[in-house]
Amino acid sequence: MSPEDLVFLAVEYGKELGATYVEARYHKNYLISIVARNGKIIDSSIKLQEGMGIRVLVEGSLGFSSTNKLSKEDVRSAVEKALRQAKSYSYLLRKPIEFSQEKVGNMRYEVKEKIPFNNIDIEEKISVLKNLWSSVHGSTREAKLPVFFTYYTESIEEKIVASSDGAFVQSKIPRLSLRYNVVVYHPQKGSIQKHGMYGGSGGFELYKQWDLENTLATEVGNYEKILLQAKMPPKEKVSIILGSEIVGLIVHESCGHPLEADRILGREAAQAGKSFITPEMLYSKEPLQIGNEYATVIDDPTIPGSYGFYLYDDEGVPARPRYLYHKGFVNELLHNKWTAKIFNTSSNAAARAMDYSSEPLIRMANTFLSPGDYDFDEIIQDTKKGVYIKSFMEWNIDDKRWSQRYVGLEAYLVEKGSIKYPVRNPVLEITTKTFYSNIDAVGKEVRFYAAICGKGEPAQGVPVWLGGPEVRLKNMRLGVAL
Amino acid sequence: MIGREQLLDNASKLCNQLLKEGFDEAAILLTNTNRTMIKITNSQPSITQYWNIIGLNIYLSKNKRIFTLSFEPRSLEDVIEKTLSILKYADKVSESPMYAPLPEVGSVTPLKDLVDKKVVEAMEEPSKVAENAIEVCHREKIDHVSGMIDLTYLEKVLVTSRGAELYEDSTVFQGYLRAFAGEDGSGQWSFTSRKYSLNKLEKAALTASQYAVDSRNRQAVEAGIYDIVISPMVVGNLVNIIGFMSSGFTIFIGMSLFMKNKPGEQVASTKFTLIDDPLNKELPGSTGFDDEGVPTYIKPIIEKGVFKTILHNNKTGKMMNTRSTGNAGWIMPRPWNLVVEAGDYSLDELIESVNKGLLITNNWYTRMQNYVEGLFSTVTRDAIFLIKNGRIEKPVTNLRISDNLRNILRNVDALGKDVYDIQWWEVSIPTRSPYILIRNVHTTKHLV
Repeated sequence: MSPEDLVFLAVEYGKELGATYVEARYHKNYLISIVARNGKIIDSSIKLQEGMGIRVLVEGSLGFSSTNKLSKEDVRSAVEKALRQAKSYSYLLRKPIEFSQEKVGNMRYEVKEKIPFNNIDIEEKISVLKNLWSSVHGSTREAKLPVFFTYYTESIEEKIVASSDGAFVQSKIPRLSLRYNVVVYHPQKGSIQKHGMYGGSGGFELYKQWDLENTLATEVGNYEKILLQAKMPPKEKVSIILGSEIVGLIVHESCGHPLEADRILGREAAQAGKSFITPEMLYSKEPLQIGNEYATVIDDPTIPGSYGFYLYDDEGVPARPRYLYHKGFVNELLHNKWTAKIFNTSSNAAARAMDYSSEPLIRMANTFLSPGDYDFDEIIQDTKKGVYIKSFMEWNIDDKRWSQRYVGLEAYLVEKGSIKYPVRNPVLEITTKTFYSNIDAVGKEVRFYAAICGKGEPAQGVPVWLGGPEVRLKNMRLGVAL
Repeated sequence: MIGREQLLDNASKLCNQLLKEGFDEAAILLTNTNRTMIKITNSQPSITQYWNIIGLNIYLSKNKRIFTLSFEPRSLEDVIEKTLSILKYADKVSESPMYAPLPEVGSVTPLKDLVDKKVVEAMEEPSKVAENAIEVCHREKIDHVSGMIDLTYLEKVLVTSRGAELYEDSTVFQGYLRAFAGEDGSGQWSFTSRKYSLNKLEKAALTASQYAVDSRNRQAVEAGIYDIVISPMVVGNLVNIIGFMSSGFTIFIGMSLFMKNKPGEQVASTKFTLIDDPLNKELPGSTGFDDEGVPTYIKPIIEKGVFKTILHNNKTGKMMNTRSTGNAGWIMPRPWNLVVEAGDYSLDELIESVNKGLLITNNWYTRMQNYVEGLFSTVTRDAIFLIKNGRIEKPVTNLRISDNLRNILRNVDALGKDVYDIQWWEVSIPTRSPYILIRNVHTTKHLV
């Protein structure tokens, strides 16, 4: 039986058995990876996951089951299991679980690889990692490069989602990613370390767009300078200019996550936590101010070429840009059909599942701070005294998404409108409101960074982009890591 | 359940076929998982999840090139097709500097008695376990509880071209609960076991609730240097990172503190001993053999403060001129169960040993500034208490531990005598640990 027939079979069978909502997702992930250390290939791997995830609502209870045994009998059995287990706890519910009615899609879509992975010989893919090593290992003078670890992954994700409320969405999304870890070491000065990631949807052409051989060689050269020359950051209050990489991380952590409506309702309370925004705040008519007029954050799954790209979510709802904060105010949460029903609104298509064995959860896609009108050079020239923090290694945020910390990796003192010397391990430890209230200049160019965002139990990692322009914060005090 | 004979037969046939097709070596790790999880939100279930999954992992080598494959396939035909496709390009991949032959399999004894039928039975009605957990939590005056309970039955088979034909089956009963009380009180605790231990579940539920109630009405506390008593939840998180870093592979790829140390060097307080214990049948990481068919055994990673063992598979062992420690992972060796050796203090005695300090019951989001140097921070979460002059003075608001793992290890000063079996979101390797007192730890908090 074809995957398409199987998802319809699951939906019809679930309805027959009394489910008020059934959603079946055939989901196949196929990944090829090449792993290298210092340019030498240590492992080549293939990963294939293919199966079906089924969600049912019955007697107000939600059940999920998944299997990679795709006979008719096994799929029916999975539907029965989801129903039986869901029914078994309905007596414990004070309030039944309900889903909103949505306009769902009937659509097939596909991201095309401009340069298909299959057209590229394995030797060329291997040479990517070898060439990267050749570029970076000549980029330091005094310091050594004991480790340069690289991880190339190409993947194809195929899905067919069908639901009892009429959704039928078939999609195919190829992606490419390249992760790296580099250690720059000096016998007297110690070490500096960075791991990072590039990723997008599309084919092998993405690698050519990233220009990694030059980018990483420059980065590693800068790390050596920091290792050898960096001084302590200023102790007094100064302006802080944050690079796109950190701005992207901040908006992901302190806007995207706290605006996931399932977190606000407590569904992730024992895992990734809740939100500083409570349901009571949202039921109030008072607008919720979080920052100044520069605080506009958008999450947009529909950006072509993005790592978090999709046009329909895993509940079959059509995607669109979501304006999470708008000019300093909370504007819109990330919703699925469950939270949309509770908040008496419509889903904005945030439901995503990592693979066939995962339930769809509310997730970000591509989250970024809206650009302003400054050139980066203008921001620097306009700064009397400050620290420009271009990149980070360490960060974290509390489980309400309020108190957060970012430790700069590549950072420089800015004085009288120009960049001076490197600064060591500056620490920005602030609240969400402090960040969004103290922006006083925003760059005009948005850059994106790839990441895998984790959530759920069992934990699901999904591809996202996070990004923004450079941003200046006024009048901030920095700490310094040990 | 599929059963030993059928799984071994399938894995052996596949192994033989791949050798015939032209690979030099093959290892097949075949798993059959039946798993049920019930998630709790606001004191009621929010979803049940059930998995019935065949997993097929394959290790192959050809002319010292290494290939690893991971399948949750629809059919065996797909597996064969994808696997044989490697032969077309195998010689174009360069020799792996990690390559070592799969070990000849000697005498290996799979662990017995890892299955508790009550776990399998409870999978049929997970709502009863959830109901029990919710009821126990609400014996304290909490507002609501969230969490999850996980029940697993797993069969695994390992067949290698060097003679391994091994089968083990096992069960896991694991979960955690986070209780909320009042405007600001919260407590979280977890449990993990091979057996259906309602006693462990109920203790975890009560601990979470008691901490939630006790941490209401928190007051702000200054960041600074404190002696800290950390709970087994926090210890679990930190020693999971130490365990990860003790792998020969993480040292090889620059993700380890131990890049700068050799076995035999003092890296921690003499009071601190951390063991990898795969033979502890109560903990869900237990197994009699690793993924290369090498027998597992108990070994100290750190013993009385001395770094003793880098965890190895055959490949990392060969690279570092030593032998496998029975911790494969075909590429990355890892610990099975982490056990922190207990001390002789009660929790009250640990607290009494502190003049100015904090009792930290949970943490999350630990991130490294530099794996090699050990710089890190982690966010405290749930109940946290100020200790003054040997007594708990009041619940306080959260801050960060922002220090160096080397300092943390060196400054361990006392360990509790009671141990707890922990596994949750932030502690993926099952960990048995007591409460621990660590002196002079840097903490930070956000600037307003």
